[in-house]
Amino acid sequence: MSTTTISPGLRQLLGEMREGIPGGRVPARIFNDQEIFDLEQDKLFSKAWCFLAHETEIPKKGDYVVRYIANNSIIVVRDEHGNITANLNMCRHRGNMMCKSEMGNASHFRCSYHGWVYKNSGELIGVPMFKEGYEGQLDRSQWGLVKVRTETYAGLIFGTIDPQAPDLEDYLGGFQFYLDIYLKQGLGGSEVHGPPDHWVAETDWKICAENFSGDGYHTPVAHQFGFHLGYFPSSGSTHSEGWAVNIPNKGHAIGLGHTPGMPAFFGYPDELVEQMHQSLSPEQLEIFSKTRTAVGSVFPNLSFLIQPFSLDPGEPGVRFCTMRLWHPIGPGRMEMWSWCLVPTDASEEYKEAAYKAYTLTFGQAGTFEQDDFENWIKVTRAAGSTMARDVEFPYVMGLERPKLEDFPGPGHAVSPYVTDTNFRNLWSTWLDYLTREE
Amino acid sequence: MTLQAAEVDRETRESIKDFLYRESLALDEQRFRDWLTAFAEDARYEIPVRVTREKLSEWELSPNSRIFDDTKETLEVRVKRLETDFAWSEQPASRTRHFITNILVEPTERADEFRVLSNCLVYRSRGDETTPSLFSAQRRDVVRRDGGGWLIVHRWAALDQAVVNAHNMSIFI
Ligand code: FES
Ligand SMILES: [Fe+2]
Repeated sequence: MSTTTISPGLRQLLGEMREGIPGGRVPARIFNDQEIFDLEQDKLFSKAWCFLAHETEIPKKGDYVVRYIANNSIIVVRDEHGNITANLNMCRHRGNMMCKSEMGNASHFRCSYHGWVYKNSGELIGVPMFKEGYEGQLDRSQWGLVKVRTETYAGLIFGTIDPQAPDLEDYLGGFQFYLDIYLKQGLGGSEVHGPPDHWVAETDWKICAENFSGDGYHTPVAHQFGFHLGYFPSSGSTHSEGWAVNIPNKGHAIGLGHTPGMPAFFGYPDELVEQMHQSLSPEQLEIFSKTRTAVGSVFPNLSFLIQPFSLDPGEPGVRFCTMRLWHPIGPGRMEMWSWCLVPTDASEEYKEAAYKAYTLTFGQAGTFEQDDFENWIKVTRAAGSTMARDVEFPYVMGLERPKLEDFPGPGHAVSPYVTDTNFRNLWSTWLDYLTREE
Repeated sequence: MTLQAAEVDRETRESIKDFLYRESLALDEQRFRDWLTAFAEDARYEIPVRVTREKLSEWELSPNSRIFDDTKETLEVRVKRLETDFAWSEQPASRTRHFITNILVEPTERADEFRVLSNCLVYRSRGDETTPSLFSAQRRDVVRRDGGGWLIVHRWAALDQAVVNAHNMSIFI
């Protein structure tokens, strides 16, 4: 049901991009363009598994949050049986918006226009003037809210509006191995600390998604203050060390930064490390114990970062973990949700300390976050200029770098961590979606 | 809260108002070290996350999510950062103007501390961008008498937008 027609100019651009990526060339124009945005809505966000919510945001029966897939408002709810379901936030009668708040708890939704009533799981159960108006001639079972297919992995709820989409397990394609560093911090897994930061930015979502697919290269410069004042446990001279891993043709990627000499599991409390020896596999433990920074993304637009932080330079401090969604709302414009994930089984003190570290670094007022968006709005602005339409960027870093054959995790791994390898895979996967024929 | 509040003497009220105006002037003039001296050693600086909820919900300002969740120590980290050459989000610096109005001063349990309600509108202009960021907030501060002057013990500011219309919060409210 794809309706977007591709203009000859865009078709040529995408064709050239296809030729260019293996040699490390990506056109600037994709990072701020109306036609690209339209095509993404239709062929990417309407086909992929898109992140909706974390299960711990809706722990009780009736809890719901309102989120998006492409430009569709979606109600994600834990129904009266405890099952998670998602429905389009649109009354089937004449299309009124059902939920006008971002989150809440309800057993039923009642439309404020003509009063149709739905169970929170979407079934239509109440129609005013059913006898007098419809003479009983409305099959209520046919007019429930429009269902959205959902699946979960380790607390993450994803939805897709493509009935033909492969199942989530296949879609993630082994990336679950790496997601566990964020989602299995101990036997009880991870939970959201509270509602997310939520803001808008004049930024193209792809710039953020690329950055969080393992851009260790920007860190010593964009976040130089952190190195300068000692808040970032790495140094410019060794910062390139670690691994970059991607899942070929799936787009998912992670950068695993390593600081030589850093003790195993630096910044995690002991009890949690003990639990991780049960919640994680030996291969995961081998990689994660050495990891200082894990910055990764589920294609297309859900990202994570885990990182130790201490106000006393040199001390282990705590590991804070953020999960963020870069949601496009126009070319070069996005809506942003940013959560802090804490280990469910950690002490309250540890959770609070991790949350404080999050707000100081990567919340909306976070000292690291601020600098990222300042750069990203400038990239977006430049990419939308007319001369940029003929400009390409070099993605040649690590072009000849061999795959690590003995790396214990799945996917395509290379070392050091500073490389464009993940991004070439990201943009070729993105291109696969945009150019896929129906 | 009723419409009639306990009286605080005029001199105290005027003195606190003056203090808050000088505090925001330090921000607008980017004298961040001076600004820090407005805070007590045990100060808290909080901006809760606002969530759009149904009317009559238990809360709309999250009880546990914060945009700022700072102590004097972490405020000083932010100021130290601004003093480096690498605070890119403030390079060039934002031009801010704090408009503080509707100031109400109320007594607290402690004779030397007062609760101060105010409305705060912050206009921020960056670089050559013609669209400013506007932050509208209600503040509920607690200030403590300190010799002849005042210290902020608690700055609490609730933004009126649930989806904040700014690419970052690199400024202070
Ligand atoms: S639009 Fe919902 S009942 Fe008519
Ligand atoms: Fe960054």
